[in-house]
Amino acid sequence: MGIRDMFNSVLGRGKVPEAKTDRLFAISTAVITLEMNLNLKPSSVAGICFKSMEMSKYQNAREEIEQLLKFSTKETGTDYNIEKDEYNFLWVLLKDKDFEDLVTNIHMISQTLIEEGFGGQILCAVYRFESDGPVYWIYNFKQGNYYPFAPQGKNNRDNSMEFRLKSLMEKELPIEKDVGKWYPLWTMPF
Amino acid sequence: MVEWKKDLGLEGRMILTMFLLAAVYLFFLVFLASMGTPQTFMLLFIALFMGAQYYYSDKLVLWTMNARLVSESEEPKLHETITRLCVIAGLPKPKVAVVDTSVPNAFATGRGPKNAVVAVTTGLMRKLDQGELEAVLAHELSHVKNRDMAILTIASFISTLAFYIVRYSFYFGAFGGNRRNSNGGFVAIWIVSILVWIISFLLIRALSRYREFAADRGSAQITGNPVNLISALRKISGTMANVPTEDLRKVEGMNAFFIIPAVSGSMMSLISTHPSMEKRIAALEKIQREIEL
Repeated sequence: MGIRDMFNSVLGRGKVPEAKTDRLFAISTAVITLEMNLNLKPSSVAGICFKSMEMSKYQNAREEIEQLLKFSTKETGTDYNIEKDEYNFLWVLLKDKDFEDLVTNIHMISQTLIEEGFGGQILCAVYRFESDGPVYWIYNFKQGNYYPFAPQGKNNRDNSMEFRLKSLMEKELPIEKDVGKWYPLWTMPF
Repeated sequence: MVEWKKDLGLEGRMILTMFLLAAVYLFFLVFLASMGTPQTFMLLFIALFMGAQYYYSDKLVLWTMNARLVSESEEPKLHETITRLCVIAGLPKPKVAVVDTSVPNAFATGRGPKNAVVAVTTGLMRKLDQGELEAVLAHELSHVKNRDMAILTIASFISTLAFYIVRYSFYFGAFGGNRRNSNGGFVAIWIVSILVWIISFLLIRALSRYREFAADRGSAQITGNPVNLISALRKISGTMANVPTEDLRKVEGMNAFFIIPAVSGSMMSLISTHPSMEKRIAALEKIQREIEL
């Protein structure tokens, strides 16, 4: 624990860390290796998940995102829709054959949220791939890292697949080193 | 753009309290040394005792509270809610426990973010909706993040020494039989110990209340919804007033760790571990105004 953290603890100032987007784009080059060498096909859907709030400023931010989405998806030919899950988190779900466009739109949404002061409330961005079953790459904005999530049934995950992906992709993709932070998302909306 | 202002008043009061506490403690140690009391042994003894209590706090509290750890398959929704809040707060995920009682409450324990346990009662899960539950859990996670368990343990260290002197000095005769070997010295040590204990007790309680305000702020910041915590506090305190006190009495010692103290009412605000409901709600309403206007 750093001096700064210690200081914040003593003052009871526990802060919500800001979102880091700098390594979000790493997936767009990794996708080639994933498809060519590991036979993981991108399934042309992705999503970004953030907390929903009852704040007027948040409503404005949300409207702004929708405006920007309308504009940018028309340009890139992306389909999108917004839905709320049972935890009251909002998902912007994107559909596009061009993987690059998915990443660009996700980056645009996260950037808008950060600019409006809601970067702290972004949960994650998720890209879906297909192997035998669905395999997700989840980007954690707090850590600025990716991790694999291969669900099997209701609450099992294919750990061997996940560890294999980690060891094979480590050089190309910033992967979360602490396996304890590979949080599952069982109720994925796509 | 949402601005999360610091509560400089709160932080100032916290620092002042800690400073006063340190001053009282320093005075006490110097006084004991000047009376020739052999304090090294006592300090070591108490350090060992409190250290063990602190080190095993997670297990100890779970055991006293009758809480059982629950797995992800037992309580998937509770786990997922906590996971999501931890991602947002940038905390490692704590262990999750449940207490089987209709009294709605929640607490956090453990010596640091890596060994933390967050527990809720079944009554809490039944009473609150998702947003309110989230707010209460975020309050507990803020306690973890602010390391309140460690801070309150350290803060009460010398106070415990004073307490032991007050409580047990008669058994040990003149407590180390000071070199001057006079009864006057013994009485002086006893009186000063009692004073130190009372003053430090009040200061620790004040600090505990400030930490509650800080955890409420933390909750608002994690969830972005101060109003959810307001309605959760209202709901919990509404039910607390209606439940019989018998089963609450057992948990009196645990008060400091609850989101809402289980025993209150007759207690004066000066010695309470928690600020009053009105003050907490007023503080949260102020945060709501700050971020909205």
